[in-house]
Amino acid sequence: MEELTIIAVRGLGLGAVFSLVAMSLNAVHRASGIFNFAQGSMLVLGGIIAALYMPNVPDPYRWALFLPVAAIALALVMTVQGYITLLPLRSSVEQHSWLVSTLAVSVLISAVILLLRGNSQILTTSQFPSFPVFGTRTPAPYIMVIVLAFIWYAALRWFHSRTLTGLSISAVAQDLDAARAAGLRVRKLQMLAFGISGLIIGSAGFTAAPILAIANDSGLAYVTNGFVAAVVGGIGSDTGALIGGALVGVLSMYTAFAYGGEFQNAVTLGLLVLVLMIKPEGLFGTPAARKV
Amino acid sequence: MAGISPTDSSPATGPALAMTGGAEPVPEANRRPADLQLATGIVLIIGSVLLPAVLGNPYWTHNFTIVSLFITVAVLQNLLLSDAGQVSFGQGAVFGAGAYITGIVSGLWGYPLAVGFLSGIATSVVMGLLFAAPALRVQGFYLGFVTLSAALVFPEMLVAFSDITNGINGIALPVPALKEDVFGSLNWIAILAMALACLSLVFHAWFRTTALGRKMRVAAVSPEAALTLGTSPGQLRFIAFTIAAIGTGVAGALYAASIEFVSPYAFKVDLSIFFFFSVIVGGSGRLIGPVVGTAILYLVPNALLADLASYRLLAYGAVALIIMLVFPDGVVGTLQRALRRYRARSGMAGIDFKTVLVESAAVSRDAETSIGITIRKARKAYGKMVALNDVDVEIAPGEVHAIVGPNGSGKTTLLNVISGLARLDQGEIIIGDADATRKSAYLAARLGLGRTFQTPRVFDDISIWDNLQIGADASISGRSSWLLQSLEKYRPRWSRELPDSLPHAQRRLLEVLRALAMDSRILLLDEPAAGLSSEERHDLAGLMRMARDKMGRTVVLIEHDLGLVWQVADRITVLDAGEIVTSGLPREILADPRVRNLFAGAPPEGAANA
Amino acid sequence: MLETRNLHSGYGRVPVLRGINLQLQPGEVLLILGANGAGKSTLLRTIAGFIKPTAGEVRFDGAEVSGQAPEELARRGLRLVLDGHRVFPNLTVADNIRLGAAMHGGKPSFETLAGPAFEMFPILREKLHQPARELSGGQQQMVALAQAFAAKPKVLLCDEPSLGLAQALMPPILAFLKDWARNGTAIVIVEQQIGLALSIADKAIVIDRGEEKLSGSAAELSNDPRVRQIYMGDAR
Repeated sequence: MEELTIIAVRGLGLGAVFSLVAMSLNAVHRASGIFNFAQGSMLVLGGIIAALYMPNVPDPYRWALFLPVAAIALALVMTVQGYITLLPLRSSVEQHSWLVSTLAVSVLISAVILLLRGNSQILTTSQFPSFPVFGTRTPAPYIMVIVLAFIWYAALRWFHSRTLTGLSISAVAQDLDAARAAGLRVRKLQMLAFGISGLIIGSAGFTAAPILAIANDSGLAYVTNGFVAAVVGGIGSDTGALIGGALVGVLSMYTAFAYGGEFQNAVTLGLLVLVLMIKPEGLFGTPAARKV
Repeated sequence: MAGISPTDSSPATGPALAMTGGAEPVPEANRRPADLQLATGIVLIIGSVLLPAVLGNPYWTHNFTIVSLFITVAVLQNLLLSDAGQVSFGQGAVFGAGAYITGIVSGLWGYPLAVGFLSGIATSVVMGLLFAAPALRVQGFYLGFVTLSAALVFPEMLVAFSDITNGINGIALPVPALKEDVFGSLNWIAILAMALACLSLVFHAWFRTTALGRKMRVAAVSPEAALTLGTSPGQLRFIAFTIAAIGTGVAGALYAASIEFVSPYAFKVDLSIFFFFSVIVGGSGRLIGPVVGTAILYLVPNALLADLASYRLLAYGAVALIIMLVFPDGVVGTLQRALRRYRARSGMAGIDFKTVLVESAAVSRDAETSIGITIRKARKAYGKMVALNDVDVEIAPGEVHAIVGPNGSGKTTLLNVISGLARLDQGEIIIGDADATRKSAYLAARLGLGRTFQTPRVFDDISIWDNLQIGADASISGRSSWLLQSLEKYRPRWSRELPDSLPHAQRRLLEVLRALAMDSRILLLDEPAAGLSSEERHDLAGLMRMARDKMGRTVVLIEHDLGLVWQVADRITVLDAGEIVTSGLPREILADPRVRNLFAGAPPEGAANA
Repeated sequence: MLETRNLHSGYGRVPVLRGINLQLQPGEVLLILGANGAGKSTLLRTIAGFIKPTAGEVRFDGAEVSGQAPEELARRGLRLVLDGHRVFPNLTVADNIRLGAAMHGGKPSFETLAGPAFEMFPILREKLHQPARELSGGQQQMVALAQAFAAKPKVLLCDEPSLGLAQALMPPILAFLKDWARNGTAIVIVEQQIGLALSIADKAIVIDRGEEKLSGSAAELSNDPRVRQIYMGDAR
């Protein structure tokens, strides 16, 4: 019984991380059609900020101060990345250059982490005490990251339906030509979408740092798991990302408990292939979204 | 990413149809650029291994042996990426499977090396097929994520199944016989690796001259066009993944023997990314691209940063990013482009409509039996929108049958259901005497349909001649195309020229010729006159008449330009809102007031007093 | 206000327009007629910056603007309404209209933006908070026009407003455009149906295979038998 609770609670916590990765992938994809292969590295960067600046003796105030710092730092990094990624798309007919450039950015970030911190896992102390959930002691970040996923879900909904800028990004996603005809500066909005994606992933990495495997080479595993969450939920749907993340997270945690951590990625890969073969549009996606 | 793109880069200017005749003596070297690249590649590979071997430097001999094996994988990745259009970020796992199974079978279980090699290669092929399965459903970044994920999982599985793989301790695979120096510091492994790399290059060059190779490149760029040429893109993807897996597996098996040790760390996801980046950095689609790319990515960090292994990853990422931003065609592609720009000034070949007409008409054989199309009670809806409603059309053998109607009247839908690109909800389609109602596009094409598209599907990275040859490859009669035979004397020149700088009218002609070269009995032309001048339209009309009269073809013409329709059509069917308005001879149609109103609108009311 | 000189353009390397000249003053309504595939939409898309001309120039508001991005031209007051009543399907009617003025920073009140459009199309007020995808084609066309109206352009380019709409819906739409022009906006309308928009146009041109075949006042052209001949492929 206790084991089930642990699997459920920690699975949902891990799933919330995948949901946040998926939402941040969606944010960029909606506005530009790009899937950022470096998104996992961005999550790791958010975690590294926590590792660098969070003290070993818990200090919640310091944490609250640095959360926005991490989010904004990643927003800046991703805006720059967006600028670089969108650069060749201006003139070239090469519409898939982003596959290479985002993967290259991921490799670069891994390389820099390797150079500065070596290849060992970087640990972060949780700034909040663990507390009992259904009778099991649960480290606070598992719960905090779930709350964060819901906060971002609500914030994105509000932004895309209430603010003029958010509406503009939605418009670009729905009909690019009509958006340009309406005088919306598509390129700027796309870079903004990269920035927003950075805010999401920066805050996620920072909050989840104590429960993440932060290392030079862990970025790709997080982006592929986030992608699986996005595909399961339906690409482009944040509701789908929330649910897809939870599914992938619980499945992954169960696998780790039942068969060992080394099978986690294999099982999510199996899930990805299964969904793509059977229902490629995912739970909440439209069939048109599958067009490749 | 794809090597050949039908996308247009520059608007064509200059004279339209009659350009420099193709039959002039060929100036300068008659060598095709592929041959030059192939020769350079082989010289580079052999030279790089032999030179240090002669100098007796085992360190560099070993390094270049590894480079040769990596080149092999990259060459096949290039084939997979640019010829077949498949994004795989997981070739390192295919490579690793070959290496590891060789290690397990020969190193752990003690079977002879030959058995180890064969098991390794077989396992790689299985891996390749596992990649191919999702490729049937999804493409592009989906496939990228799946393969990337597989590359991540592969080393984890090596650790997870440690009772078979010996886990993180790895497996020793001593092969003293193969490691003995034959000459200088040259051993058998080096010779085999060198030969394998050369072989893979020769294979890639040869593959591109085969019908299968051409079909694959067409399918990569335009699955639709491939379907109408009678090939199934899914099958081609499977073949491409298999070919790549075989060569990659051989390289993997040799790699295990070359290092004499395998461990999970050697086959991490970085290796897969390395192979992919090698192709991009060298120039995807260019024969020699992977040779140059592998050399740059492997040697630069190894030579310049030999003591700083941790900088390697940084170098891969930085080089790939810079290349993508500054030289999106890669090193070789950029050089080639510059060279071509220089050469372009010395004049271009062109296709001359009139010459072609005269030449091919002179040798055209007796018209074979023509076939027609019967469409009965055809209905097709997209959601709520009914595109075709109860449509009956009879296209008689040997006639030019025009289908006209306003935008959205269902003309293109009709063409798509005939050619099998869309499937009818109800009704039937008979082509000749075969029921084509449920046939998919590539099977319908084999019934004798040849088709052109609104925007010509001309493939810019293969020669003008190969663009025609694609049609002949798909010939339903199985004979060599007489049309191509009649054009044989242009072959040397057209084999050297790429169609990318041909003006629109010539691209259109090329596409029509390709459909004719298929020996198709029925020609489906989708707005062929769009973008042609009046003179070019006149020539096009001549070509259609010739196809009908001299070659016994049935022509189905969808056209907005009514002027052209009156000129060539034997019968006309008028569509509006998915229904047949009328069908008949041109003069009947012209006299029909309903048709006039359809095209020009009702007579203006109250316009005079506005 | 708007002028093209010897304008050539096309899709990729497919040439479509071959030397179009037109001129338009503030408050004028110009109708561009032509059969299917004549190049009408290409002309509007070239003027609006979606297609780069291969030769010739587009002049707007006294300056050469060829090759500028469509969003920049829209911000300067050259606004294209695409054919096929394109709206943002998942946004509400109100948000669709608000977006029209997004480039002005969203300062003006909603009523000033859309008031006159609502007067002409009262149905939109009822559907204000419905997603645009739930509207009929005609209502979507009204939304598209109201969105363009909110942008207060100097020149409006309107691509086949009648496409896919019932004929009965056209009079209010045309009346709206005519009123709009009276306030000094120059309007270009593309139509395939000859009779439809001549009543509100000041002048018209007929293009065929990318070339200008006829031009004149709307009244002259409405009685010219050559127009129909061009449509029917010059067959006699």
